[in-house]
Amino acid sequence: MMENFELEAFYVPPGLRDRVKIARTLVYEDGATRILLKIPSIDRTLIQSLIHHLREKRGTYLADLPIETIVQVLDEASRRWLDKNYPLRKLALKTIPLITGFSPEVVEASIDAEMESSLREDMWRALSLEIGNPLYLNDFQYSPQLGGYSRAFGPELIVSIFSENIPALPHLLFMRSALVKSACLGKVARGEPTFAPLYLKTMEEIDPEMAECVAVLYWQGGEEEIEPFLFGQADAVVLFGGVETCRSLLEKIPRRVKTLVHGHRLGFGVIGRQRMRRQDLERLAEEVALDCSMFDQQACLAPHVYYLEKGGEVSPKEFCQAVAVAMERLNQRMPRGRITPHEASTIHQLRAAYEFRELNGEEVLVLTSPSGTDWTVVYEKDPGAFSPSPLNRFLRIYGVEDIFRILSSLKPIGPFLQNAAVAIGDKREKEFIGTLGELGVARITSPGKMSVPSMMWHHDGISPLASLVHWCDVEKKDEF
Amino acid sequence: MSELPQEVLELDQKIIDFIRKGTDRKDDEGFNSLALEVFRLQFKSIPLYRRYCEKRGIKSEKISSWEEIPALPTDVFKVMELSMFPSQTVRTFMTSGTTKPEERGKVGYDEGGLRLMDATIEEAASSFLFPDGMKTKILIIAPSPEIAPHMIMAYGMNRLKERFGLPQSCFLVGREGFKVETLLKELRSSEEEDMPVTLCGGSFGFVNFFDYCREKELRFKLPPGSRTLDAGGFKGRSREVKREEFVRECEEALGIQKNYSVNLLGMTEISSQFYDSTLRNFHKGLHAEVAKINPPWTKTVVVDPESLKPLPGVETGLLKHYDLANRGHILAIQTDDLGRMTPEGFEVFGRSKESEAKGCSLTIDEMTRIEKGR
Repeated sequence: MMENFELEAFYVPPGLRDRVKIARTLVYEDGATRILLKIPSIDRTLIQSLIHHLREKRGTYLADLPIETIVQVLDEASRRWLDKNYPLRKLALKTIPLITGFSPEVVEASIDAEMESSLREDMWRALSLEIGNPLYLNDFQYSPQLGGYSRAFGPELIVSIFSENIPALPHLLFMRSALVKSACLGKVARGEPTFAPLYLKTMEEIDPEMAECVAVLYWQGGEEEIEPFLFGQADAVVLFGGVETCRSLLEKIPRRVKTLVHGHRLGFGVIGRQRMRRQDLERLAEEVALDCSMFDQQACLAPHVYYLEKGGEVSPKEFCQAVAVAMERLNQRMPRGRITPHEASTIHQLRAAYEFRELNGEEVLVLTSPSGTDWTVVYEKDPGAFSPSPLNRFLRIYGVEDIFRILSSLKPIGPFLQNAAVAIGDKREKEFIGTLGELGVARITSPGKMSVPSMMWHHDGISPLASLVHWCDVEKKDEF
Repeated sequence: MSELPQEVLELDQKIIDFIRKGTDRKDDEGFNSLALEVFRLQFKSIPLYRRYCEKRGIKSEKISSWEEIPALPTDVFKVMELSMFPSQTVRTFMTSGTTKPEERGKVGYDEGGLRLMDATIEEAASSFLFPDGMKTKILIIAPSPEIAPHMIMAYGMNRLKERFGLPQSCFLVGREGFKVETLLKELRSSEEEDMPVTLCGGSFGFVNFFDYCREKELRFKLPPGSRTLDAGGFKGRSREVKREEFVRECEEALGIQKNYSVNLLGMTEISSQFYDSTLRNFHKGLHAEVAKINPPWTKTVVVDPESLKPLPGVETGLLKHYDLANRGHILAIQTDDLGRMTPEGFEVFGRSKESEAKGCSLTIDEMTRIEKGR
C-alpha cells in the first residue's frame, strides 16, 4: 500500500496562515511513498504583510525576550529532533530521502549530527566566543575594558536564501537569527524544501510567539520580482549558494543591507607519515571513509582529496585499499543516495580515465564499488594541482613525499578552502596548520570529524553571530 | 612511414565496400561479422585496450556478437593515446570544450582510418543532406582544416565541400574570425542568381548569425533547394535554442524550407556521423518521425547510467555507439550524451546539463570557471 504524506514547502506564522494560497502541488513518488508538497503562491502583497508581521512581532516579543529563554527554546527544539520517536523527525525521515535522493540513513545521520551540536552548551559557548558576555544581547552591561556600557543589537529582519539540499542545515540560520533576536524570513532550496518548515513547526510547539517571528517560503530562484523587493526590505541578508548564484544575488542587495555570504567551498584531508601506522590503519581508514560518505560528500565540509605522506609504515596504496574496504562497509550501513545520470556518467568517465592510466603502468590505483557508482577511491601521486572530485563518494587520494609540498597547489584556491582534516602526529603539525590557516582554511579537525563542526566554529571563517550584530557603547559610566 | 599491414588494408577495403552499399538497407549479420573482425584486430594491436577487455573477462576469440564488445568511455582519450598504429598517425583530432590542451580528448587517424571516414562522410551526406543529388555552393560557418587542423568538423565540412560543392564553395571563419560580409554577399548573390546554397557549420555560429540578422534587420529568401546543416550544439557560445526554434529561425532569416534544415551529431571519437532524417524523409515522401539515423555501418545502444547495461525499450540513458569506421582506434564508444531509442533511430538530448549543485561543496564546473579567472 502506498503511504501518503502531505507537506508544505513553507512556514508562515500562525497569525498569517489564512493568507497563504497554494499555487500548486508537487508530487514525489516511489513504490511505497507518495509526497504531496504544497507550493505557496507568492506575491508582493503577501511578502509585504509577512514582513510587516515579522517586524512587529519581533518588536513586541523577541526583541525583549531574555537570551536565556531563547537558548532554552532552541535547546528544547534540538532535543525534540534528537528523540527518535518525535513525530516530525519521523516524518522528515520518511520524506526527505524521497525528495533529495539521499538514503534514509544519511538523512538520519545528518539530523543527529546537526542537532547534537545545537544544544544549550553549544549555544552558550558560541555566544561567549563571539559576543563575549551573552547578556550584552539583553541590555547594556558594564564593560571594564571599555570603562562604560555596551549592548549588542541584532538586525530587525534577516532574509536568507538557502540553496542546497543538505538536510538539517537551514535550522542553523534560524537559530542564529533567534540568538541575536532577529526576525527571519528564509527561502528554502528547491532540492530540499521540507526540513526548514518542519523545524519552525517545532519552534511553534515550544514557543508560539517566537514562531510569529519566523517564516520560510518557496519560490523559483532568480525570481526577478520577489528577490530585489525582499532584499530591499531586509536589514541583513545571509546567502548560501554556489559562486554564481551568490554573485547574481549580491547584485540585487542594496548597499545599506548587511550581507553575509556562505558560498560553495571545499574540504580536504592530510595524513602525515607518522600516522600511517599499521595498528591505526583500519580505524583511520574508516574515519576517512566517513568524512567522504557523510551527506554523500555534497557538503562543503566533505573532502575532495586526501593527501597521504609517503615514508610511513603503511604505504599510501595500502591505505587506499583499507579505505575502499571501509567505503564498502559504510555503504552497506549508510547507502549512497540516488544521483542524476550526469553525475553517474561523470563518475564512470573519470574512473575509466584513471583505469587506463593504471593499465598503462602509471602510479595509479582505482578501487570501485562492486556495482554501479556507489563509491570510488582513486590513488595517484600528487599531480601538483588540486582537482575537485565529482562528489557522491568519489575520493581522490594523492601520495606526497612531503606534506609541505601540497601548499603550492592549495594556494590558488585559498578563498575556497573550507575544512581540513589534519593528522600529522609530529612536531611539523603546528607549523603546517598555521600555514593552512593563512591560506584560508576555515576549520581544521581530525579525520572522521570533518562533517560535524561545532556550533561554535567560525562558519566559513566568519563570525556568524558577531557579524550580524551592531554595538552601541556608552562611554559615560557615571551617569548611566 | 611504412604502409599499413596487409590484413588492415584488406579489412579497411571490406568496410569501405560495406559503407559503399549505402544507407538504405539493413545488414545486421554483415555488421556483426565486420565488427568482430575490427574488434579482434584492435584487441590484438592495442595492448591497453586488450588489458581493459581482459580485466572484464572478455577474450576476443570468445565473443560472437558486437554487443559484447567493451566500450571505451570518451574521457579516456583525454589521458591516453589509443590508436591502433600510433606511429602511422597522419592526423590528430581533438575535442573542444576546454582551454587546457592536456584535458582535450585526442584521437589519431592513420591513412586507412581517414579513408574510412571519407567514405562515411560521402555516403551519409548523399543520403541525408543531398538525397536529391543536388550540387550547390557550400558556405561553411566554420574554420577550414588549414586554420583548425585538429577540428574534426573542419575536416568533415571540407570533405563535403570537395565532394558535393560547386567551385565557389568556401569557409567563412578565417584567422580574423567570422567573415560575415562575405556570407552576406554570397547569400545575396544566391538570391539574385536563383542558385540554391548549402549553409553548414557549428550550430552556435548559425544562432549568432540569426541574431546578427535580427539586429541589422536583414532577411533572406534563398531559392528553393537551399539547405542548412548544423552540428555541435551551442557550447555556451550562443543562445541555447530548441530544435523547432532553430528550424523556424532558418526559415525566417534565410528562407530555408521547413524540411531543409538538417542536424547532425558528430563526435571527435566517432568517425561516422549521425544525421537526422528530416530531409531524406521529405525527399522520399516518408512520414516517419524525425530521428538520428544509424547508417548500417554503425549501431547505437542506450545504457543505464549507473550500471552501463543496455536499457530496454525507449528508456532514457547514456548513448553508446559502435562504428566500423573507427577501425583505427576503438570501435565501441561510451558517451556522456543522454538519449533514447525511437522507432526510426535515436534521439539525443545532449550532454546532460551541468548538474545543479545539490550540496554546498564547490563543483568541478564551478572550479573550471574559477580557474578561467571568471
